[in-house]
Amino acid sequence: MNPFALSFVILGLGLIGWLTARARALRFDRGGAKRLHSLPAQHGWFVAMWTVLPPLLFLVVWSAVSPGLVRQTVLQSPTAAGLSDFAFERDSVLAQAREVAKNPYDTEADPLARQLAPVVRAARNRYAWTGTAAAALLAFAGAAFALSRIRPDFRARSKVERTLMMGLLVASLIAIFTTIGIFASLFWESTRFFSQVPITQFLFGTHWSPQVIDAKDPGASLGAVPLFWGTFFIGAVIAMLVAIPFGLMSAVYLTQYASATTRRWMKPTLEMLAGVPTVVYGYFAALTVAPAVRKLAVLLGDPFASSESALAAGLVMGVMIIPFVSSMADDSLAAVPTAMRDGSLAMGATTSETISRVLVPAALPGVVAGVLLAVSRAIGETMIVVMAASGAATITLNPLQSATTVTKQIVDLLTGEAEFDSPKTLAAFALGLTLFVITLLLNIVALRVVKKYREAYE
Amino acid sequence: MSKPAAPPSERRPTDWKGAAMQKRIRRRYAAERRFRVLGAGAVILSAAFLGFLLLTMVAQGWRGFTVTELALPIDLRADGLKIERRQLATPAADLALASAGLEDVVQNAAVRAFGPEGDGYLAPSAWLAVRTAVKRDPSLLERRATVYVPAATGFDQALAGEGDPAMEAGVARLQKLGAISRGFNWAFLRESDSTDPVAVGIWGALKGSLLTMAITFLIAFPVGVLSAIYLEEYAPKNRWTDLIEVSINNLAAVPSIIFGLLGLAVFLGTWQIGGHVYGPMLPRSAPLVGGVTLALMIMPVIVIASRNAIKGVPPSIRDAALGIGASPIQVVFHHVLPLAMPGILTGTIIGMARALGETAPLLLIGMRAFIVTAPGGFTDPSTVLPVQIFLWSDEVSRGFVEKTSAAILVLLAVLLAMNGLAIYLRNKFETRW
Amino acid sequence: MTVASPAPHKMSARGVSVSYGDKQAVKDVSIDVDMDKVTAFIGPSGCGKSTFLRTFNRMNDTIASARVTGEITLDGEDIYSPDMDVVQLRARVGMVFQKPNPFPKSIFENVAYGPRIHGLASSKTDLEGIVERSLKRAGLWDEVKDRLSDSGTALSGGQQQRLCIARAIAVDPEVILMDEPASALDPIATAKIEELIHELRGRYAIVIVTHNMQQAARVSQRTAFFHLGQLVEYGETDNIFTAPREERTKDYITGRYG
Repeated sequence: MNPFALSFVILGLGLIGWLTARARALRFDRGGAKRLHSLPAQHGWFVAMWTVLPPLLFLVVWSAVSPGLVRQTVLQSPTAAGLSDFAFERDSVLAQAREVAKNPYDTEADPLARQLAPVVRAARNRYAWTGTAAAALLAFAGAAFALSRIRPDFRARSKVERTLMMGLLVASLIAIFTTIGIFASLFWESTRFFSQVPITQFLFGTHWSPQVIDAKDPGASLGAVPLFWGTFFIGAVIAMLVAIPFGLMSAVYLTQYASATTRRWMKPTLEMLAGVPTVVYGYFAALTVAPAVRKLAVLLGDPFASSESALAAGLVMGVMIIPFVSSMADDSLAAVPTAMRDGSLAMGATTSETISRVLVPAALPGVVAGVLLAVSRAIGETMIVVMAASGAATITLNPLQSATTVTKQIVDLLTGEAEFDSPKTLAAFALGLTLFVITLLLNIVALRVVKKYREAYE
Repeated sequence: MSKPAAPPSERRPTDWKGAAMQKRIRRRYAAERRFRVLGAGAVILSAAFLGFLLLTMVAQGWRGFTVTELALPIDLRADGLKIERRQLATPAADLALASAGLEDVVQNAAVRAFGPEGDGYLAPSAWLAVRTAVKRDPSLLERRATVYVPAATGFDQALAGEGDPAMEAGVARLQKLGAISRGFNWAFLRESDSTDPVAVGIWGALKGSLLTMAITFLIAFPVGVLSAIYLEEYAPKNRWTDLIEVSINNLAAVPSIIFGLLGLAVFLGTWQIGGHVYGPMLPRSAPLVGGVTLALMIMPVIVIASRNAIKGVPPSIRDAALGIGASPIQVVFHHVLPLAMPGILTGTIIGMARALGETAPLLLIGMRAFIVTAPGGFTDPSTVLPVQIFLWSDEVSRGFVEKTSAAILVLLAVLLAMNGLAIYLRNKFETRW
Repeated sequence: MTVASPAPHKMSARGVSVSYGDKQAVKDVSIDVDMDKVTAFIGPSGCGKSTFLRTFNRMNDTIASARVTGEITLDGEDIYSPDMDVVQLRARVGMVFQKPNPFPKSIFENVAYGPRIHGLASSKTDLEGIVERSLKRAGLWDEVKDRLSDSGTALSGGQQQRLCIARAIAVDPEVILMDEPASALDPIATAKIEELIHELRGRYAIVIVTHNMQQAARVSQRTAFFHLGQLVEYGETDNIFTAPREERTKDYITGRYG
């Protein structure tokens, strides 16, 4: 039985267990011999817990282990004797055999694979049924054990609640495990990279061309400075030149000038800009904005202008970031006490004087924090640059020329057909680690600033 | 009444009506107007960009939902298709039709009906339409009939006045024959990827997205809500709790591509999913792998939204429940959680919408396979809508432009529906205390 | 409406009503404000006295739903007429708020704010002179003269309020409106503010809103008693407190409600 169907069956058993236990506890209750310590439903939960949890845990382990067992059995079968000794070839035939086992009308498969298919199917069935039987056994055993413990004075509630508490704790620990997982995997792969390429060469080298890597000196073509520059130029300069004025002015207009109706309609409209998937922006940048920017460059007298300019990617990225800047500025402006605004207006200041001389300076820490978060988002943004920026790593100040970014290179490095251990692949993890550390720092600083700022007005 | 004695003043009183002051005030009001126009301009331009983007997609994409079909007269028996009726009933029907040379038969029929260049008018996948028709109505094997088959991309463009002259001549001729018809492209919603832009559909990618989202939801929702409950209601104030909070806040801001690297390193590097230790037991592009990766990504979003929703439940409700002897667990699960649910669901939907539009991490873990049949389950190779869009945007053939935009329209429609639902929930269950 | 004749009063309100949406907050109030007198508005909270005060420099304009009817004149000019420039009006009729609201800027910049936006100072020295004079008049100079570049928000509550008064004085207004200026302060700071009001009298027409009757008695020469948006009684402070004509005034002063 497939694991998903089996899980449903187990859940069904859990429901039956719940109903049975509750009925039993109710009988105790009616019997009136002794007062129940816990509610009947809590006895139900206790039994359901014992019925469902052990087989589900078993299933998780089993689905990780059983493919290996299937493979072992198939390899030991006499039919498998004809298999090649080369791991790659063998695995390819095995994979085809699995396909044929699923779909017998696949005529293009290797003849050996077609012979192996019944073996695969048999082995798979056997282990599937073994797993199903074991899971069912565990479910019934758990249910029987739990049901046998139901007595009027049994503290079902505290047992159930303790398990639930454990569940809550484990759930909240997943965030830590994820963080550790991210850091550990990036760090581990990066260490492997830095054992092949000196870290200084990677961080300070100015030549990046992973397509041609000299096996003797891989670091010579893996200097990441052009990527750092491109990332900074597109994400922190061009995009911010769009996002900051537009975001800030939109927030100012919507909070200080616009009527309630305008605000009610325009705020969600601007937020929709943040909801558009980045792949859509990327497509738009590549298909519509980039050619327009190129035309502009040609008009400006550069007949060989790149159609993958930094400007096209940065512009679109900036538009995507507008709502982030705008909503952070909105929050910061809202946090400035109205007394401040009234004080300025009562002095005879116009609204714009009040905004630019009192409100914005007062909200500045919050706005700056918002910009930092926006920068962190911009430099981590991937699809726009993958689709619209160039792969050529150049250091340039001209926005009409091409520039590449860290994220774009990560994708390019990992979607080729490289070996998992090559410096080329590992370089992607080193870039990822750099990106992770920088965005983390930006976020920590921004959150600090926001916290300080909030405290100032509380 | 007598005027009070003027106080000794060191300055002359300001002459508000003087020319200099009037000029100054005019300047200040002009600045005020300029500032206001700038603000309105920023809002309008931002909204205009959104409008322009949507219009561009609609303008390019609407043709993707239409199909140009040619009425192809065909007589399979006369054209030498050697196949028995009973073969059509077996699961091997497709195979039998292919090996009997259906593709050539259809091409010959096109040449006979539309002239020497006739087979060029048909989409490369046209014979598949005939195959479907034959399987549905086996009597076609024995009689003359007219089957509607999709036209080639070039033909379609010529029809729109953008094709090459030879093709446009063909269009003119077929128009005279009355063989051209246009209609809604149901196949686009039913089919999966293909090398022929005329035959592609989004169903495979959409189903892949649904399966992936199901996994994401099944993991991220319980884990997110449970950890929010723990942090908000039970967690002791200590270092560990702080660490969890810091982790969650930072995870929420980690670029999505980093989760792709995590998935790559863990699922593919460590567990060898799609690798060669157990053989490719689980393909790299399985919804299960993508779903888990995305679940880790949106879990912090759900935790933060759920915590805010739980925080919004007034303490008086907890006190009331505790006061009648409920245990802390009962207080939360019977009273706090139901009240916080609308807020939690709103946050979850927003997180799910983010996951649905996400491309980069899935690209990294390898969910970019060429999938011609919709995935049947969580462990089948599949792709998702945004990745499908990315893959089509890379295609050279011009026919893919309209299909990419059409797929974008579908994706945006789904996202809009999800966000609409979130807004509806938020408004309907606005806090009542 | 009325022909603008040379008005004997600095400001007068005639038949002023204020409403927020359908709710009427102030009903048909007429009052005069004079240069040499401090006028106090008293009454229980929510009686409309602060709302009425805010009509004198059109601060109600900042609330979208507020509607003001009736006539208020400054030196005989209708301040709600289209010819009246609200920016200049507010420079001429300054305001001090209930909670001290210095800008998050230096002490110097706080006081210099008004002169700067209205372009009152001809030079840097001139501006420094204005700031010094204003701070001296507000009785704050000696306490802050050595730390003018410190943030205004770093001062104590009482000092902040006097800074706000200095800020209002700096544009040389003719009228100063004070909305419960001492209600957020401790008794010592309150005494200082009251002393300051005494000193400022005569130089500016002062209107003060207070819920503290003793304060009204101490600082004002005229008192207006408001209740439920209506002006119940208006007259010389001494008369109001010693011989109120209205029963409601008497009840309020003797502490029956508040």
